[in-house]
Amino acid sequence: MTAFDEAWTVSRLARTLKRRVEDDSGPIWVRGELTGIKHYPSGHWYFCLRDDTAKVDCTLWRSAAGRLQSPLVEGSEVFAFGTAVVWEERTALRFNVMQVLPAAAIGAQAQSVERIKQALLADGLLDPGRKRPLPEFASRIAVITSIAGAAVHDIITVARRRWPAVELLVVNSAVQGEGASGELVRALAIVDRLRGIDCCIIGRGGGGKDDLAAFNDEALCRAIAACSVPVISAVGHEVDVTLADLVADVRAATPSQAAEFALPDRRDVAARIVTLGASLSRALQNLVSMRRARMDRTRDRMVGALIEQLRASERRLLTVKVRLGPAMSRAIDARRSRLSRLAAQLQALSPVAVLGRGYSLARAGDGRVLRRMVDLPGGTAFTLTVADGAVAARVEES
Amino acid sequence: MTSSKSARTNAPAGDAPTLGDDLKRLEEIVRRLEDDTLELETALQLFEEGVGRLNAAQLRLADAETRVRQVLDDSAAPGGPLRFESLDG
Repeated sequence: MTAFDEAWTVSRLARTLKRRVEDDSGPIWVRGELTGIKHYPSGHWYFCLRDDTAKVDCTLWRSAAGRLQSPLVEGSEVFAFGTAVVWEERTALRFNVMQVLPAAAIGAQAQSVERIKQALLADGLLDPGRKRPLPEFASRIAVITSIAGAAVHDIITVARRRWPAVELLVVNSAVQGEGASGELVRALAIVDRLRGIDCCIIGRGGGGKDDLAAFNDEALCRAIAACSVPVISAVGHEVDVTLADLVADVRAATPSQAAEFALPDRRDVAARIVTLGASLSRALQNLVSMRRARMDRTRDRMVGALIEQLRASERRLLTVKVRLGPAMSRAIDARRSRLSRLAAQLQALSPVAVLGRGYSLARAGDGRVLRRMVDLPGGTAFTLTVADGAVAARVEES
Repeated sequence: MTSSKSARTNAPAGDAPTLGDDLKRLEEIVRRLEDDTLELETALQLFEEGVGRLNAAQLRLADAETRVRQVLDDSAAPGGPLRFESLDG
């Protein structure tokens, strides 16, 4: 097999190029200068778009030509919205244009948006301080969007997944094209008449990314600012920020994200409840064990104090005992010396002591003391007591 | 009947505690229980209240079906009654 056997046919080359080009490119905006404009009786337009270094052949079919706001002008700068395609017959690349806007008009539109922005700014409507927080657990949410669009579906899907207990009240409104801003303002007025609404999502999903004019409308911006509940904007455009986004309390990139902002995830809440339950029992356990520890400490201190008191009493008793011995001896000695004193005094008064000094004592047989002569007639027997004893005596002669 | 339906829808939420109230109170109860100067009697009362709110919060998480309704204003006079139509997403 040679390389020639594998040679492509021209058709295959054309088909492959066509697939490569058309599969990869969605509709895009291309900016360039209009040249070689040809308008055919069939209603189709042919022209080139070019800049300093490149040019591309363009076709504007009759079906799309009806949307032209002004006739195409040779040499003018435009924005063309379309898709790149390959024309197989000539293997030629063409840009299939769906919409053409003069760059000057775009400039004017941008200027108008800027003017409205300045007016909103001057009235304080873009002040970050006036942004209201979203409720933590919304139970009823108003949704302003087109019920034909993907936004409602996306929001319902997210709500069912995150927080099924919510009620969604949908207010239908056009979200692009002529009259859309007026319908959006009316929808906001309806939301203000609903009661029990926690927040409002206003936006659109999918659809053309080119027509955001409704969301740059001044009346809509003012209605959003005046809405009685917090508003989440979800214009579904990641790149361009509309004035509605700036005025809204919260800006979401998509309707799904708006629903995520508006509703908690029930798994997070469930986890929070579990954590709180654990904290609750732990806190009580801690409290009880701290109380118990404190009681134990108090009991220990009480017992300690009691023991200390007993020891103090014991010590006092010992001291008393030690002091009691000498005190007793002293008392006994005192009594003893007093006794000796008394004995001495007694001794001094004893008649026996007088006998010691040479006296003697005469007593009758019956013990009576014989003091006088009459007591002693002759022959009387009596007892004579001297210092060291007594003798029997008799009166010889009276 | 449209009027009764809208009346029910527009009924105010009432004073029953919301899930947010329950969670906030639970956090406060835990905080208070962590204060060890609390009387044991008060602590037990708070704990019981906490358990009640915990159960209530768990019940609220039980499965519910998201209700989707379209709001229609086809009253002749501005500010007239609104109509609600079920919308199956």
